Amino acid sequence: MSVAPDIDVTKAPPGFLWRLVRSPSSAIGLVIVLLLIFCALFADVLAPYDPNKMGSGGRFLPPSGDFLLGTDEFGRDMLSRILFGSRITLLVGAVAVGISLTIGMAVGMIAAFRRGWIEAILMRSTDVLFSFTETLIALSFVAVLGPSLQNAIIAVGVAGIPFYSRTCYSAALVETSKPYFEASIAAGARPTRMVLVHLLPNVMPTMIVVATLGVSTAILAAAGLSFLGLGAQPPTSEWGYMLAGSRDYINRAPWLMTIPGIAIAITVLGFNLLGDGLRTSLDPVERK
Amino acid sequence: MWRFLSTRILMGALTIWITTILVTLLIHAVPGDPVQIMYAQSQGTTPEQIEEVRRSLGLDRPIPVQYAMFMERLAQGDMGNTIRGGQPVLDVIMQRLPNTLVLACAAMFIAVLIGVPIGFLAAYHKGSLTDVTLMFVAIAGISMPHFWLGLVLLFFFAVELGWLPVSGNGWLNLVLPALTLGLSNAAIFARLTRSSMIDVMNQDFVQTAMAKGLPKALVLRRHVLRAGLLPVVTMMGLQFAFMMGGAIVVENIFSWNGVGRMAVEAIFQRDYPIIQGFILTFSVVVVLVAITIDALYAVLDPRIRRS
Repeated sequence: MSVAPDIDVTKAPPGFLWRLVRSPSSAIGLVIVLLLIFCALFADVLAPYDPNKMGSGGRFLPPSGDFLLGTDEFGRDMLSRILFGSRITLLVGAVAVGISLTIGMAVGMIAAFRRGWIEAILMRSTDVLFSFTETLIALSFVAVLGPSLQNAIIAVGVAGIPFYSRTCYSAALVETSKPYFEASIAAGARPTRMVLVHLLPNVMPTMIVVATLGVSTAILAAAGLSFLGLGAQPPTSEWGYMLAGSRDYINRAPWLMTIPGIAIAITVLGFNLLGDGLRTSLDPVERK
Repeated sequence: MWRFLSTRILMGALTIWITTILVTLLIHAVPGDPVQIMYAQSQGTTPEQIEEVRRSLGLDRPIPVQYAMFMERLAQGDMGNTIRGGQPVLDVIMQRLPNTLVLACAAMFIAVLIGVPIGFLAAYHKGSLTDVTLMFVAIAGISMPHFWLGLVLLFFFAVELGWLPVSGNGWLNLVLPALTLGLSNAAIFARLTRSSMIDVMNQDFVQTAMAKGLPKALVLRRHVLRAGLLPVVTMMGLQFAFMMGGAIVVENIFSWNGVGRMAVEAIFQRDYPIIQGFILTFSVVVVLVAITIDALYAVLDPRIRRS
């Protein structure tokens, strides 16, 4: 998970999408991710009940025709809660990875482009932060900002920055040593142009792979915080938070535990398979 | 070799030093008045008492002075007192740290014991059905949230079958948390071992050994396994940090009395001295483990040992 993908970023080879879908595991990943996006977009249409309305049915109803996934301790429909939860999950993944990716790429590209003392400061501090581990950074952030879903997302996003800076830095370093890059310096291109026109598009494939795999890490981390009560607060239908509540009813209503867990696992699996597939189809060595 | 190690030790010292600064600043980053927030939950605290606490924490001084005071006390092994109970933070942490370390080590043992053979087997049969199946299981394992795995194990072994206790701090209580943390990391080890072994198998010296006509088993044992396990050793250092992080969640599921559970309670209670102590302890442990692993790596890898 923390192994940086080894990719020749110069060219995404033709027929890339076809190669991606041809591998069964990445096709499964793609389907899962698309399905998740579909659920999130149409949660209001798909959900049979209001996810937060108590007493939609009796308490602790096992899965049945009326309540496909059963009801929870307040008689709320589990299916509706899971469907609406997919929105939160996607939002968490997108925003947290967005934070890590934007800042991480900026740090990595500036360090690789500027070199010298700027590089030294940026990359040394990245190393230090990296050894803090993401969990500790995220936990410290929540400790300062206080528990809430929004703070958990920020915490997870910030915690991911060192890993993204490192990966982007090594990808950018490869680019800056290539002849075309030196040629454009010789041609008198301005720094902004060098970074935006030459560096950015060429590190992008690597970063897309990292970000796809990163979505699963971010979703797991944020769900973990919510599970501890440090993220989403009631009555949010966040999956990690729902799991935490299920512990007390483990005997009486085991489906409260299985369903959100399976939802998280499938989502994360989807992004992992897709990310692995992207890596393989972009990597000239693995492609053979 | 000494150059390699001294850079690592220097880097580790730098990390811990920066942690001390961040930990001092932490309390100032809290929105609002930290002392008010800390005492918001306890009734009947007079303004005088709050001022007294502010003084005793040194929060009425300029930040650089606070840092100097913090470091001076730290040098004497004093991390301050907990807000609730007023016990020395260091005592509270030291009481619980062994539990967390035992859990992390047991989990590491399980992860390596399961993950490395699976990875080796998959690499050996690269491209076969065995490989594909094992790697699918591994990626499914990585995708499974460990807090959920913990609940599922708890449900089956403690609730349904009644074989193991639900919570507590005996040796039997260690089984489920260690298994939870170990299994989710075994998948990571399996994937890493596989790719590392495959890398080695493609290298010239292995091809040469094969071409010489050495039996495959001998080549694997003598050449591939030894070279391929090196990255796994490096990975153990990084993984240990993950285990410590994972322990925070797992300890809470199984009510295992470690520092992770303590930290989460402290966050809820806004007990900042404990949080500061926890962050500092966590990074010291992670840095020490990383240096130990690097030293081990330096001894094992002849390219570094002889440099």
